Amino acid sequence: MKKILNDPYAYVDEMLQGLCAAHPQYYRATGEGRRVIARAGEPKQGKVGIVSGGGSGHLPVFTGYVGKGLLDACAIGDVFASPSVEQMADAMRAANGGAGILRLYGNYGGDVMNFDMAGDMLEMEDVSSTTVLLADDVASAKLEEREKRRGVAGMVYAFKIAGAKAEQQADLAEVTSLAQRAADNCRSIGAALSSCTVPQAGKPTFEIGDDEMEMGMGIHGEPGIWRGGLKSADDIANEMCDLLLADMPLSRGDRLSPMVNSLGATPPEELYILYRTVKARLDALGVEIVMPLVGRYATSMEMAGVSFTFCKLDDELEALLKAPAECAFWTV
Amino acid sequence: MPLNKANLSQGLKRIATRMEAEADTLNSADGQLGDGDLGITMVRGARLVTEILDDLPDDLGMAFMKVSQAFTKTSGSSYGTLLATGLLAAAKATKGRTEMPWAETSGILGLAIAAMMARGKASLGDKTVLDAMEAVRRATDGLEDPVALLITSQEAVTAALVEFRGQTNKIGRARMFGDKSIGLDDPGMLAFKAIVDALA
Repeated sequence: MKKILNDPYAYVDEMLQGLCAAHPQYYRATGEGRRVIARAGEPKQGKVGIVSGGGSGHLPVFTGYVGKGLLDACAIGDVFASPSVEQMADAMRAANGGAGILRLYGNYGGDVMNFDMAGDMLEMEDVSSTTVLLADDVASAKLEEREKRRGVAGMVYAFKIAGAKAEQQADLAEVTSLAQRAADNCRSIGAALSSCTVPQAGKPTFEIGDDEMEMGMGIHGEPGIWRGGLKSADDIANEMCDLLLADMPLSRGDRLSPMVNSLGATPPEELYILYRTVKARLDALGVEIVMPLVGRYATSMEMAGVSFTFCKLDDELEALLKAPAECAFWTV
Repeated sequence: MPLNKANLSQGLKRIATRMEAEADTLNSADGQLGDGDLGITMVRGARLVTEILDDLPDDLGMAFMKVSQAFTKTSGSSYGTLLATGLLAAAKATKGRTEMPWAETSGILGLAIAAMMARGKASLGDKTVLDAMEAVRRATDGLEDPVALLITSQEAVTAALVEFRGQTNKIGRARMFGDKSIGLDDPGMLAFKAIVDALA
């Protein structure tokens, strides 16, 4: 796999330098090793701070979603590696407006251990914080063991909804409760057509044949449900819809925002081919579609493939999803 | 004299010196059951602790937090994060105080064990550092003389190592070794023994 880079060990730092240089109106680098991206300007006093964090390699997740109506700060690790406790604590410090902090991120063991530790450290500094974990990948564990599922693209909805609630000057308990409701209402499934390459590893994370695909693969190449011959767009979309609907049954009159997301290399053209089927399936159920998202929202480097996320909405979640938000990658 | 900044600082210095001497032993013990870097983790943490000894805060809670932070900076090691978690439990328990009676040692160890169990998802009996700490917690309950505390702690750690040597490791990477872990000392327990020995 060919990559454009200088030094694989400087990959993340150089990426962050470029990100801040291109979009200084949104981002500033701070914290231990300059591995925290915070909103440009000082934290807004009296507003709940929302922080996320995790490994690099998923832009716009997590870093890209720092912005008004979204996240306040984000700690960034190496590609697919957890940030350090210090970096997570620094992200929380950068987001601290005196009204408490929500830690909102994906359910991965190393991230959870480090973020909990960072929360304990901030507690010593008299900063209160809460945690909401995204665990939306239906392929990663059965419904009965939902707490074991990995967090994937559903976190974009949680960032958006919690971020909008925090902008309304809601208190930490309210922001946390909304974030949890958004997280609980999200289901995602991915399918990969090709691997990605971690720069420091220098070779593809996994091997997959030119004519093969893998259903249910995770965003770091975690094994999925099945691997076999590449299917047609309609068959892929139908199977992914089946998996999501089996996990979160929908009925007539339900409201939902669907996301059809490229894992990196898959072009928007193919996402729109897939979206036809998503629309048809939801229409057939009598489900009302709100603000469909089709594009590159959560990626795995140069992996070819797609993920679907369904986020079920109620009046409040819908209003918060539609509230204004702005970052370099997404404007609502 | 109760625990205060001065004797905490002395104790940390002795632990740091001891870790340099034990590094190779800990690395090779860890090499048999893990990834072989426990000595490196302990030395890196100890060196960062040494750097902060001169400006250790008077508030014991803040002092323990500084020590905890030194171990969080040894990122990449779950043992470092777990030690930091235990130290942070001690920090919370002593926040705002410049002195701590020695009689609280056993209780604070209990708080550290509980926090580390929650973070590392390990149970007592899994053959981890927690079993060595629990042995010390039980043996030192009610003790308030620092000399008696140390002698009792050393005996308890040694007895725990003997007790668990014949068992299998039940969690973490060492678990993969199954019956091959019988007869081997858990590296995390050895590191805790080195800490106790340094103070005695």
